[in-house]
Formats: sequence, structure tokens, C-alpha cells
Amino acid sequence: MMTRAIFALSIFCLSAAAWAQDAPTITVRKGDRVSLAITPLGGPAGPAVTQVLQNDLDLSGWFQIVPDARGSYVVGGSTGGGSLQGKVTDSSGATVLAKSYTGTDREVAHQFADDIVETVTGNPGIATTKIAFVGTASGPKEIYFADYDGAKARRLTTDRSISVAPTLGPGARFLAYTGYHEGYPDVYLIDTATGARQRVVKAPGTNSGAAISPDGGKMALTMSKDGNPEIYLTGLRGGPARRLTRTRGVESSPTWSPDGGELIYSSDQGGSPQLYRIGAGGGGGSMIATGYGYCTDPSWSPDGKKVAFTVRSGGGFSVAVIELGGGARVVAAGQNPVWGRNSRHLIYSSGSRLNLLDVQNGRTTTIVSGLGKVSEPTWSL
Amino acid sequence: MKMSYSLYCAIAAFSLFLVSCKTKDQFAGADGDFVDGMPLPERTDGASYLGGGVNKGQFSPVQFGLDSVEVSGSEMGKVQAVADFMRSSRSDVIIAGFTDERGTEEYNRGLGERRALAVREKLVGLGLGGGRIQTVSFGEEMPVAPGGGEAAWAANRRAEIGVVR
Repeated sequence: MMTRAIFALSIFCLSAAAWAQDAPTITVRKGDRVSLAITPLGGPAGPAVTQVLQNDLDLSGWFQIVPDARGSYVVGGSTGGGSLQGKVTDSSGATVLAKSYTGTDREVAHQFADDIVETVTGNPGIATTKIAFVGTASGPKEIYFADYDGAKARRLTTDRSISVAPTLGPGARFLAYTGYHEGYPDVYLIDTATGARQRVVKAPGTNSGAAISPDGGKMALTMSKDGNPEIYLTGLRGGPARRLTRTRGVESSPTWSPDGGELIYSSDQGGSPQLYRIGAGGGGGSMIATGYGYCTDPSWSPDGKKVAFTVRSGGGFSVAVIELGGGARVVAAGQNPVWGRNSRHLIYSSGSRLNLLDVQNGRTTTIVSGLGKVSEPTWSL
Repeated sequence: MKMSYSLYCAIAAFSLFLVSCKTKDQFAGADGDFVDGMPLPERTDGASYLGGGVNKGQFSPVQFGLDSVEVSGSEMGKVQAVADFMRSSRSDVIIAGFTDERGTEEYNRGLGERRALAVREKLVGLGLGGGRIQTVSFGEEMPVAPGGGEAAWAANRRAEIGVVR
């Protein structure tokens, strides 16, 4: 058993090394990971919080979790009465982080994990983020909502029609999706705090594939009211829609630049679907050469440097990443990739699973399964 | 002076030519839009292809090639049948576009809409008023032939015509 584990580990290391050679733009070095020891947290909720915290820090990809006292940093603290007093010390014993958190076991663990990542590495954490996706566990396609690691998954819609293409706004306060509740594809907005829902875009024809802007105030989506599927901009709660693209083709799946000033979308104006980039103020779209013949579902990374998208080749789909101004490469088998706010992890769908991919080290973790066919994940900033 | 004036004219004319070429390539219609200037009509209250108030199955679905939105010549007879019916009736129609499963979901929603709009454009070309023709896309949902294989995929690439009651 042990031998097998070691063998598996060696294969993983070899794969990681091979990966590094294939991808000159993202290299994996042993020194990239910071060694970190976790002292089991004390108090009644200690074991539960420690487990979530350890998983968060492990999934973050930044750390090598090591036995106590050998880490460059030591994480510890105590729990009690819905709170966590977290503390991180460095190898000299100096305190680098000391903070109190209140909430459920999972909430306090996620908050502490994100603070540790930010304090030690300077990068944003993903542990407090939320995801939404389409699942078929109850039969028809419905929208589900969960923590970033797939935990606490719950069905958000009970439309019993076709509910698809969810998009989460910043902080996961609002979720928009395409619903056929009234017989036509319209865009609905759900306040995830109150559960209140309203239909915000219901123009003639098809209204679908909304993306909430990084500032949370606008939506980009596909509408066909003027006679062709094009990208439009409208408010979070609907209102006048301004047309952004003007082609003979099908435009779909807009994704915002981090500053909200530009969008990338998929268009088949030249034949098969390709990625295009356009200013949010208008103008013409310019094609992004990826080298792949069928490119859809773009997701612009929050650091603005790269775009993940779906590639179709042969009978299947792959997830690819292009460095803007550089080359593209396939990183996984699957589709519908979406970036996390650290611009390091992707979530994508693969049949009945949602997978979390650490693009930097190639590690894949299944975060959702058992909810039927799952697809079209969205990930909050 | 005379030379430079001619040169100026030539440059101006050439620039205008370039601008008009670009405009024509990108936008064929008025107001910068390529489309035929026929926005979709408002939806009919109480009638939707999914919800009800619509007669389905009266006409054969218009089939499409892989990744194609072209209504081929062999499918035009079906469009003609719809046109003949609309001329003899006051009913409006809803055209519902569908795709096979070999694309990604959101692109397929757009592709299905484009197929429905392609049939609408043919009907308008046959003289019917665009104001009587709504469209909707279901993408790869509701396949008529479940499962994979060329025959099933071909059957699923279609636009169905519903008559508003």
C-alpha cells in the first residue's frame, strides 16, 4: 500500500516535471511552495475547523504541508462559540498574522485560509469564494450553488424547465442565469442573500449567457432582438441594452477584462467559432489567434494576462489556456473553464464532475459529483 | 498648387473608398447594422414554444448541416409550405432552433437562434412580414433523437415551426 502510494507520488512528480518542460511560460520549481506546519486547533470545533483549513491550504497550491516545527511558518489557534482565533508564526517565532473570525466552522476556516495565503504569498485566496453550476440531479437542468470546494452544494432553482448559464457577481451576492421558465430564454437575477428573484432581460428572441461585470453593476450577454445573436451590454437589473457587436455570425459567452473596459467573446463570423476582443465602448472586435479551430466559452483571468476556453477536437472537448500576446496550450480534457480570483486555478466540467485544476502545478481535484450531469460552472471573485 | 490640389483630391477619394469598403464589409444595412432591419416582434402573451398556446408538428422541421446555419435548397420546400400557410392564414408563427450535442452549450444556444433566424429570413424573402415571425433557441436541449451517432445528430440539427393559436 505504502509502496503504491510512493509510486503514485513519483508518477505525479514526473508528470509535474514533464509539464514544466512543455510549458515554458509557467514553470514549476520546488521552491515555489512554502513549507507550512499546521498545529491542530484547540477548542470544541478544533478538529472540524482544522480539517477544512488544512484542505484549503493544501488546495491553494502555495504550500507544502509539513510536520510541526519544520515549517517556514506554523499555523495554529483555538476555536470556541462560533469563533476562531488564528495565529501564524514564522520560523523565528515572530507572529505574522493574528486575527479573530466569527461564523460557521467552514466560514472561519475559509477566512483564515485566505488571510494566510495573502499574508504569506501576497496572492489572493480562493477559499471564501463561491461557485454555481448547472446540475441535473432532480431531472431538468437547475442551478446549484456551493463553496469553491464543492461543499455545501444546494439547488438554487426549482424551475422544472431549463435553467442554465449561471454567472456570479463579485462576492457572490448576485447570480444571473438563463431560464426558460416563461417559455423563452430570459435572464433572471437572484439575490443570493435573500433568495429574491426577478426577470431582468426578456426581449424578443433569445436572451442568454450573461456575464456580470467585475464592478457588479453591468451585464454583458447575447440577445437576438434586433435580428441576429449579438453581444449587448445592460444593467445588472436590466434596462436599456446597448449593442456591442455587428456581424453576420453568432456571438456568445462574453467575459469581462478585470477593469471592465474590454470583453472577449466567441464568434463564428469567420466560419467556426473563434475568440474576439472588443472595447466595452464599442468598435470592432479583433480576433485572438489561438491555433485551434473551434474556440468557445472564454474566461478572462482576473490578473488580465490569460484566457481559458473550450476547444473542440475530434469527438471531444478540451480546456485550453492562452497567454494574451503568447501561445495557447491544452491543460485538461473537459469544457466550460472559469478562472478563480487567484488566476491560478480553473474549474471546468467533465461529464458528471466539476474539477478544480491548479494550472501552475497541474493538480486536478474533483469538487462536485453525484449531482447528475454538471456543466457551465461560474466562480465568484 | 494645382498638382497638390489634385493629389489632395486623389487621397481624399481613395480614403473615402477605403472607408466605404470597410463599412460595406462589416455592416451591410442601415445604421451600421448588417441585419435586414427587421427586429423581432414582441412576444405574444400566453404563447411560447415551451409553455403552450402553440400548435407544433404541423410542418416538417427544416434540417441543417453540421455547424451550418444555411437553409439548403432541398429544405426550401418546407419553408415554402410554411409561407403558403401563412398567406392563407392570419396566424403568427414561432420558429424554434435546435442543435446537436457536438458543440458547447452556450454557443449552441446562439447557433440554434441563428438557425431559427435563417428560416425567418427565408420567409421574409418569400414576402411574409417579419412582424408575424418570432424566434427562440433551445440549443442542444430537447433532442428529437436522443443518444449519439450521425443519424441522431442530423435529426437534431433543426428548426421547428410552431403556429400561435
